[in-house]
Amino acid sequence: MRLRIVYATLTGLVLAGLVHIMAVLAIPRLAETDAVTRAKTSENLDHPQAVYALATGDAPAPQEVWLPIPDPAVAVGVCAFDLSDGPMRVSARTGNLALSLAAHGRQGAFYAVTDQAAVRGALDLVILTRAQYDQALADDDENEPSRDVRIVAPEGQGFVVVRVIAGLPSQREAANAAVRAVSCTTDAPDDEPRKPGGR
Amino acid sequence: MKLAFPGQAARLSSSEEASAGSSRRTMTPRGAGRLVGRFVRKAGTPLLVLYALGLGAFLGLASADWATRGGYPFGGVRIGPWMAWPRAGSANADPYTRAVNARRGEIPLAVGEGLLMTASEDDEGRSLDASCTYAISGAVPPARAWTITVAGRGPRDPNRPHIRDGFTSTEILRQQDGRFVIVLGPEVEPGNWLPSPRADGPMRLALRLYDTPAAASAASLDRSVVPSITREGCAP
Repeated sequence: MRLRIVYATLTGLVLAGLVHIMAVLAIPRLAETDAVTRAKTSENLDHPQAVYALATGDAPAPQEVWLPIPDPAVAVGVCAFDLSDGPMRVSARTGNLALSLAAHGRQGAFYAVTDQAAVRGALDLVILTRAQYDQALADDDENEPSRDVRIVAPEGQGFVVVRVIAGLPSQREAANAAVRAVSCTTDAPDDEPRKPGGR
Repeated sequence: MKLAFPGQAARLSSSEEASAGSSRRTMTPRGAGRLVGRFVRKAGTPLLVLYALGLGAFLGLASADWATRGGYPFGGVRIGPWMAWPRAGSANADPYTRAVNARRGEIPLAVGEGLLMTASEDDEGRSLDASCTYAISGAVPPARAWTITVAGRGPRDPNRPHIRDGFTSTEILRQQDGRFVIVLGPEVEPGNWLPSPRADGPMRLALRLYDTPAAASAASLDRSVVPSITREGCAP
């Protein structure tokens, strides 16, 4: 009898190990408070949802904060994407404030770029699936190469984070505005095979 | 033997059971074990299976919860008093880091964006206390911009005036050689004064480097390129 109890306990411990590993692996998929799930509410906006708007003058408390320890000098916005609706285009105009864009999936960040990579003051990021990438490559006009930065996403859903740094308190308002000024649009699949020279 | 275990299974009991003596009838731990044994014997295998499943589910879930609560369990790099998790935001982060990020709703800095370093202890390993005064001095690794912020545990005390949470690289006052000293303490100080966020209790410092080459090589950073944290004194 004693032996059977020991045996059952050992079985329980082995099971506990399996359950532990499975739980840890499943948490990012099942979490309801993670950034991907929360960013989804911004999916049909064409500008980033302000996650952390900086305090300016009379408006001290940032409205909805879900970042655990936000940086009080950096305005943060997110745009969620779902690539089954078509490729996601993020366009930012660079100003005098440092801006960075990072694309995250559930696995973590897969791409990050700062405004120092901008071409003539514009940063155009297109996030697409492998199939959409091949399509875009095939549609490219040889005489007029696209200036877009194309990134193949490892998974269909995720979000792009926009961070703008306000070095001085007086720049905070501009930083909030710079986050809102970034545009996140879905390139509809209909106009995907563009006519050469069009646009 | 027969008295203690009147069933057939008595033969299965180990020899140490015999030394317990059948004459003692008090509720010793061994006696309790015997009671459990008798109960298990009556209920049989289904109970044992249930027990194993329950143990597995409980221990597995509890340990997973414990491991993914709070900070990142692995992948930290210690540089002087600072800790950095350079891979927390990358796509090859370990599963525990991913789970921690998902539970906290954190959006970690990607490697190309910057690097977060936190400190909850001073240079001598004592934890940062809000009633003490600290000097944070030195330089930071090359970065386009950086911020240093302090946070206490829990929400901000509404009775304390909210002057500032931190400094950015633009607004800090520097010495002639480009180094800086920040005084973190409850009393007003000249120069770069960072007020303590609370009257007492533990504090955490966060140093965020934006657009820095150090993010890719955090493991090789030397402690001379990060600010030192020295305790200057404590309020009695």
